[in-house]
Amino acid sequence: MAEWFQDNGLLLGLALLDGLSSAGLIFLVAVGLNLVFGVLRIINVAHGSLYAIGAYSAASIGIFLSGRGLPDWASIPTLILSAALVGAILGPIIERLLLRRIYAQEEVVQLLVTFALFMILEDVQKLLWGVQPIHHDTAMRWLGTIDVPFGADFIPFTNYQLFVLPGIAIVTLVGLAWFLRRTLTGRVIVAVTTDREAATAMGIDAAKVFLLTFTFGAMLAALGGALSSPTAALVPGIGAQTIVLSFAVVATAGLGQIEGAALTSLMMGLGRSIAVYFEPELEVVVPYIIMVLVLLVRPQGLFGVIETRRV
Amino acid sequence: MLELNGVSVAIAGVPVLRNVSLTVPAGGRVALIGRNGAGKTTTLRTLMGLVTAGSGRVMIHGEDETRLPSHHRTRHGIGYAPEDRRLFGSFTVEDNMLLPAQVLRLDPSEINRRIERVYALLPELKDLAPRKAAGLSGGQGKMVALGRALMVGTRAVLLDEPFQGLAPALALRYAEALKRLRAALPDVAILITESNPELLRPLVEQTYVIERGEIGAS
Repeated sequence: MAEWFQDNGLLLGLALLDGLSSAGLIFLVAVGLNLVFGVLRIINVAHGSLYAIGAYSAASIGIFLSGRGLPDWASIPTLILSAALVGAILGPIIERLLLRRIYAQEEVVQLLVTFALFMILEDVQKLLWGVQPIHHDTAMRWLGTIDVPFGADFIPFTNYQLFVLPGIAIVTLVGLAWFLRRTLTGRVIVAVTTDREAATAMGIDAAKVFLLTFTFGAMLAALGGALSSPTAALVPGIGAQTIVLSFAVVATAGLGQIEGAALTSLMMGLGRSIAVYFEPELEVVVPYIIMVLVLLVRPQGLFGVIETRRV
Repeated sequence: MLELNGVSVAIAGVPVLRNVSLTVPAGGRVALIGRNGAGKTTTLRTLMGLVTAGSGRVMIHGEDETRLPSHHRTRHGIGYAPEDRRLFGSFTVEDNMLLPAQVLRLDPSEINRRIERVYALLPELKDLAPRKAAGLSGGQGKMVALGRALMVGTRAVLLDEPFQGLAPALALRYAEALKRLRAALPDVAILITESNPELLRPLVEQTYVIERGEIGAS
């Protein structure tokens, strides 16, 4: 063991640094999914579409504005604002026009409806952005790279992936935890998550909370997509990859735990990048192996509490 | 001021309330007595707007509020303590009680006045205030649910089987609290459900008996 670390310690260090950025992105998407499921009790398969549309929109808006002389430094705020815009437009449309009609339906119907929405939005993406890869990485290039020592050599890491992505994820985590615990709106969201009917009897307008939470969740998904856009070329299918991974995080962490989602995202992100370095063929399955192992031992998830269903 | 007028309710096609009429006058203390499954809880839930009356009318302060969404009830000064307490487990006891008043956007000084009043009526809640609601016993939870209902129930509180499952000593304390409530807040009407008619006799002025979803003579 000690010998292995001697040989591979440096490589492991690189893997961990690499994993941070993907953990940050996974967290943003998964925490939104978790929040939406907690309040609306709907498994929103189309959450992945919001990620993809967030990514595409951010790239398009970035390309458009760069062509009109947007300074490079403004490209990071542009990513965030694009995500907010996507969530603020699509969130209310989806919640009001579609989800509101299916709250009283069986879970199977809800799943099918959001899956249908996901399929429709996948095609809408292809219609709007085509199937050719789209690439816009001004935000990442502007921040440059940092040389990480690797034995006698140096490996360049982008500052964007090493600092900005994990940084925004941490700010989101801390901000969200503060918001849910310390503000009235946050506590109202927690109350509706805990017990919708009791919350209603306490004077809380659940319909309003649903709209607000879904819009906020949509913004988080879009933010994940927008922040990922400078790091890779955008191609059809990114939404599907993301939603499956986010489901794995939510299932592993358990419902309603912001910090749990963060820790699980970190596990999944790091696990995946360690796999890339040491057993690349395992990269795709590592998150699901983690999920299966956790659920075998704790079916309610790492941080979930067992809920008794009221009859 | 609270009135059900010929209300019928069916849940999943099964009639639960049939032509129920009852009146809780302003400042009145009314008991609704019935066995398990007689329709007591559904009667309160109908008053709260948590179930919708299939026919008949729900009148609040003289207005027909049959279709009024449930979350408007607190605005009409109606507090509700459900049978199974339904506290928010991750909140402290005090935060549980503050929530409905905060949702109403009451003035902080008014909220403070009300919570102090609740502590004066139910002194044991003062000691429980910083504890998480999830860690309370059933009886403590009932006290907190009463306190929470009183925070917004300036005109009426609906108490669903508050004595159910309480240890005798706690039941006694709860009954004493209700007596203090009566003296301290004479304007607040109370509608209270129970399966044992003897228990409530000293606390109420009027009793309705409900059996298989129908109100009988009392």
